[in-house]
Amino acid sequence: MKRYLKLVNFEFNRFFKLYIVLIGITILSQIIGVIVESRAYLNRANELIYKELMLKSEFIEQYGTMSFATISRSLWFLGPIVVCGVTLLIYVFFIWYRDWLGKNTFGYRLLMLPTARMNVYVAKATTILLYVLGLVALQLLLLPVESQVLQWMVPSEFRTDLSVNEITNFNDLAILFPNTLIEFVLYYGAGMAAVFIIFTAILFERSFRIKGIIYGFLYCVVSLLLFFAPLFINEFILGNYFYLIEMFFIELLAGILVLSCAIWTGNFLIKNKIRV
Amino acid sequence: MIEIKNVTKKFGRKKVLKDVSFTAKKGEITCLIGINGVGKTTIMKAIMALTPINSGEILIDGEKIHKGSYEKITFIPDTITMLPQMQIRDAFVFMADFYDCWNQGRATELLQFFKLKETDRISELSKGNTAKVNLILGLAMDVDYVLMDEPFSGIDIFSREQIADVFTSHLIEDRGVIITTHEINDIEHLIDKVVLLDNGVVLKEFDAEEVREKEGKSVIDVMREVYKA
Repeated sequence: MKRYLKLVNFEFNRFFKLYIVLIGITILSQIIGVIVESRAYLNRANELIYKELMLKSEFIEQYGTMSFATISRSLWFLGPIVVCGVTLLIYVFFIWYRDWLGKNTFGYRLLMLPTARMNVYVAKATTILLYVLGLVALQLLLLPVESQVLQWMVPSEFRTDLSVNEITNFNDLAILFPNTLIEFVLYYGAGMAAVFIIFTAILFERSFRIKGIIYGFLYCVVSLLLFFAPLFINEFILGNYFYLIEMFFIELLAGILVLSCAIWTGNFLIKNKIRV
Repeated sequence: MIEIKNVTKKFGRKKVLKDVSFTAKKGEITCLIGINGVGKTTIMKAIMALTPINSGEILIDGEKIHKGSYEKITFIPDTITMLPQMQIRDAFVFMADFYDCWNQGRATELLQFFKLKETDRISELSKGNTAKVNLILGLAMDVDYVLMDEPFSGIDIFSREQIADVFTSHLIEDRGVIITTHEINDIEHLIDKVVLLDNGVVLKEFDAEEVREKEGKSVIDVMREVYKA
């Protein structure tokens, strides 16, 4: 356990500088986004109200009030979220290949540590999970700050204030901030299962090289089929026989099965088949 | 004792190790000799479970390798096994963090012996100095067995002398060493046992001292006989 935690700490620190850059980009882009979007709204209001002498009420009726909904749909706000997501997705692969490719033979060291090799696998997965949760937490902390900036920028008569809860309910953000425990388990569980499936596919490639790419691909396809099988069977064969809550538990079981298979196979490969 | 028993290893259809068997005892330096591509490095990796074998068995003190084995056997490959961006002291901290057998005093001693600085960054070291750091990372562990893959490969004459000196020091004494090389001259006088390999097969396994005393032949003489036959 001690060595697992040390590995998590080590893996976390290896990406930390880039992670700080991602955090910086998110904070800067979103705060600038609030300012830019607010100013654009106010400029339009000023132009129409003071130059073209439109009534305030008329302006609000035509263009609506300014709220966080406008900002949350902007590139300033969604851009860094996408950048962070894509970077972490790339890192899911890079977290393994950086130890093997080119002149890097750190993979030798990781496999020769006096600890179960599974710890290396799980520590890498834990690191990805921590990074994801860290960015989600950052976003949650940023939302009230950004709301406050919006309040400073736009007078109350032109503004509709939204609570953090209302903001996180927007469609674009609903996956990041699930409303219920069921949704949380579904979204984040599926995300983690996907990470483990990709890790195991990578281990297939690292164990069998070119053949391993085919094995890894087939393994991913089988895992996905297994995961979605209950949905397909319910939809196309049983004609929506199950209630939604029943489907949730069946999917949960399928997810646990897929996740268990990924971890078991990953453990087998890293213990017995991997080569440097 | 490290026992390699009837080990076979294939890469695709190519058999790189064919029924290889030999032993390496604690307190002895066993040298695997052969030209490039005969399977020397593969044997090292197989001992450390860094590559799976197709058949046969490898035992370390009568046990198959397990996580605890890495506290009593270490492998020094011909490339550095630490992150290039690390300073040498970071590498030491890493080793101390993960290995109970890490001996910091010995690491410092070796660092001074090789005239390296703790603040040197691994990526900025010359090939010779990188090999020395790699050697320190292996030898500063209080392990029973040390595996070294081509420690003299591509290294200047002075660094080779320094590394060869290590073999006669207390740093090697009492340990079981398996070393691969195709450049025997530097350590011929230090070797206890020789395993001659060719094309994945053990051609001959002999006690270097015994051959020297009884037959009056050097290791190189025996190599000539075997490889030219």
